[in-house]
Amino acid sequence: MTGRLLIPGLIAASACAIFTACLLGSTLMPADRVLSAFFGGADAGDRLVIWQIRLPRALAAYLTGAALGISGAALQGLLRNPLAEPGVLGVSASASLFATFSLYYGLTALSPWALPVSAILGALAATALIALAAIRTRSVVTLILIGVGLSSFAGAAMSLLMNLAPNPFSLSDMINWMLGSVANRSFEDLAFAFPFLLAGGGILLASRRGLSALTLGEEAASGIGLNLRNQRILTVLGAGLATGGSVALAGAIGFVGIVAPHVIRPFVKHDPARSLVPSALLAGLFLVVADIGVRILPTPFELKLGVVAALFGAPAFVWIAMRRRALNG
Amino acid sequence: MAELLTKDLSVKAGATTLVNGANLRLVPGELVALLGPNGAGKTSLLKAALGLEKRSAGFARLDGSDSAKLSPIERARRVAYLPQQRPLAWPNTVRDVVALGRYAYGAAPGHLSPEDAAAVDQAIKRCDLTELTDRQTDTLSGGELARVHCARAFAADAPLLVADEPVAALDPRHQFRIMDIVREYVDGGCGALVVLHDISLAARYATRIVWMKDSRIVADGAPEDTLTPERLADIYGVRATVSGRAVEIRGTF
Repeated sequence: MTGRLLIPGLIAASACAIFTACLLGSTLMPADRVLSAFFGGADAGDRLVIWQIRLPRALAAYLTGAALGISGAALQGLLRNPLAEPGVLGVSASASLFATFSLYYGLTALSPWALPVSAILGALAATALIALAAIRTRSVVTLILIGVGLSSFAGAAMSLLMNLAPNPFSLSDMINWMLGSVANRSFEDLAFAFPFLLAGGGILLASRRGLSALTLGEEAASGIGLNLRNQRILTVLGAGLATGGSVALAGAIGFVGIVAPHVIRPFVKHDPARSLVPSALLAGLFLVVADIGVRILPTPFELKLGVVAALFGAPAFVWIAMRRRALNG
Repeated sequence: MAELLTKDLSVKAGATTLVNGANLRLVPGELVALLGPNGAGKTSLLKAALGLEKRSAGFARLDGSDSAKLSPIERARRVAYLPQQRPLAWPNTVRDVVALGRYAYGAAPGHLSPEDAAAVDQAIKRCDLTELTDRQTDTLSGGELARVHCARAFAADAPLLVADEPVAALDPRHQFRIMDIVREYVDGGCGALVVLHDISLAARYATRIVWMKDSRIVADGAPEDTLTPERLADIYGVRATVSGRAVEIRGTF
């Protein structure tokens, strides 16, 4: 079965992609210089480029993608629908709204934790709202519409912040949060998001067995022994932490969490629990490759990573939605 | 001993009474059919008895403990429940769906202990799914799917089974097949409570029929004793002739 080689294959491909991201840039650095810079050799300039610029950026892209991939796979399992995803459900947009709020009102000056914490609060608020709505309605179309509403609201509120905030940043700064980018990330930025990504991913992995049970629908899932309330809380919490952490790192990047699980599912026999880890790996890989594209495309201004992700992800979303038979909403 | 027992069990939704003072008992060796028209409160009674729906009065016990206070895993080990709505969100393989029946024992599709695997294999065999184990569920017919759901319920190896309309929307052959499978399960020392709409099928298979109308249980007894033309007129509003366990419905009043 192809399934057994899936995770090792993805890990190997991810390592290759991250290594390639260190080679490529405004100037190409040969592999031997990259390798010796990794292990403390080479000259100071090479080490600076690798350790201060290229490696943290590639890792930021990878972690962001992995967090979105695992959140997407888990939310799809919880809501039993392949169209669920942090971006589509408005979770990423809410997180970036809260992040901009903390930036504009100077909370980030108080503590370096202010930014990731507010992004996570935004993500948790939106995820909890979606999960509450999911209890009332069976239709995922309703949930996606709520997500559209949340995203629009977050966009409008961000524009409002631009006008009202005491120390408005530049327009480009806001655009960074709305469109998503991993340019100029340092290991310090990674360190502040990493605990939340780790906690979120850990919670999702620990509670993944319940997602398989939900395949049978909520009623039968409780019948076979699933504690539905706990499962909802854990998935919402885990996806909120992971998505919030990813937004704190890179802003709102959409559609990654939808494409990766969709590609992975046939390889894991359509089992939501088994799709979590490979979806995270594939989504991380996808964002690293997309970020390499962003950096080497000869455009006058660097493209935003979120734009590239949406250019591929949004058509995939439409395609999945159109192919889907109206089985359960 | 395994036992599902309700005493004066009532369920309300707002001001509407869905179940009114229901007394019901299920023990191994019995195949109890729960009959009644749509909206009589059969599903609410089952759910409240299992502790899955809030009751407004009375009590429900599973093996002596309050069913509403059982953890989902404890409940699942005592009784297998087959709900009326049986959506399958993903096109999993038949074997993986059946394996979900072992959830209460810590199993997950792809991670089965030897006991779990044995129980899954046995359930698959019992429901005659051996040739379909690797098929995806979205390629199955309604009759095959019904057997998959039964196998999922049997895989739990629970001493009791509560099934809400397990033969709905099946052709006669498949209805008989499912009921034969349930009958075998009961003959193997388990107990089953099954909601049915087909009176002949209930009369043929049940050791006991519980009749419900307007949120109340109006009769409870062997088919020979409780299946009468008057009962069918009272409960369903149909004219029928009954001889022994054979029923013929001739029309409405």
